[in-house]
Amino acid sequence: MPLHLSESDVVRRSALLPAFPTVVNDLLQTLDDDNATIGALIQLVGRDPVITARVLSIANAAAMGGRNQRDLRDMQVAVSLIGLAKVREIVLAVALAEFSRESRMGSHFWEHSVAVGVAAQELARIGHLSQDFSLVCGLLHDIGQLWMARCHPLEFQLVRMSLEQDEGLDVIDAERRVFGIDHCAIGRLLATAWHLPASVVAAIEHHHDVQPPADKLVAVTHVAEVVVNALDLAAHQKSRVTHLAGSACELIGLNWSDDLGYLFGRIEARSHYLTRIFF
Amino acid sequence: MRQRLHYIPISEAVEGMVLGAPLAIADHGVTNFTLPAGNPLTEGNLHQIAMRHGEFVCILEDDPRSDAERDADLVREKARLDRIFAQADRSQPALAALYAAVLAYRSL
Repeated sequence: MPLHLSESDVVRRSALLPAFPTVVNDLLQTLDDDNATIGALIQLVGRDPVITARVLSIANAAAMGGRNQRDLRDMQVAVSLIGLAKVREIVLAVALAEFSRESRMGSHFWEHSVAVGVAAQELARIGHLSQDFSLVCGLLHDIGQLWMARCHPLEFQLVRMSLEQDEGLDVIDAERRVFGIDHCAIGRLLATAWHLPASVVAAIEHHHDVQPPADKLVAVTHVAEVVVNALDLAAHQKSRVTHLAGSACELIGLNWSDDLGYLFGRIEARSHYLTRIFF
Repeated sequence: MRQRLHYIPISEAVEGMVLGAPLAIADHGVTNFTLPAGNPLTEGNLHQIAMRHGEFVCILEDDPRSDAERDADLVREKARLDRIFAQADRSQPALAALYAAVLAYRSL
């Protein structure tokens, strides 16, 4: 007998999750304003001492490669040394890593999310769209599963077990049988409640669609997850590929006749690197 | 001895490794650091890459495997990929292309 969860139930129970980091939202809203970004970024990050400390630590390691003693203590210096785009990327990933850590989700969840975030960024380069938006979509694409694990842990385990017992069972069908709703729909509700941009909400909602809507951010998130599963990057013996929308590949401009070794190599190496430094 | 390409996080790169592909690091869409394929990495190179927040390098390394070992590895990789794609309809062009591309990558 599935749970009968209404949309308001999902949103209400999201109070069991840690507070969503507002810096993510605020940062995404400043991306179109090049003049405001440096000052806005420093001000936004400065509101959260935990994120500030982690960003400076990672920026310091990145800038110095651990090879000398110079210490970055100031966000302005971090921006001037490693660049605004990198600092922004670090802030987004750190904020969402903290959120995931506080949610007490298993490390494989975070590893998968980082890998999809990195793959989305790499595909965004090919498709000429925002790498920051793509990173956030990748990091948050399975946020509905985080909700399931935190708010209904027994039912979530039931879903996991049924997938292990029946390899032909689709994850969306398995979730609907137990929860009456799937993680993509829950993700849409959460992302909407957190006031994330509509394009991010759509990417979270449609990343499992067999025929996703013709939207580049949706396409990038969809293809990124499929590629990460094909490469088995979380390497926990449960990666599956069931479908891949050709229309999404075409929308991004992914050319299968190209040598994709370099793209896959970048995704694999960067995923391992970022998983280590962000969590 | 045969050689093979290996993509590694920058944290695993050490002096003396040889680049298997050109390295180009860009900032704001402008390439500001390059090294050619075949370049042996020096301590200075690694420092410069880290300073520019490079995250990975492609390395050319010796492949000490015999032909039989290489074939056995390929069979293992194919079995792993077949398990991942077990529920996929590989008559669909995009899925077939992805399968082939990943197998080619794992065969590097």
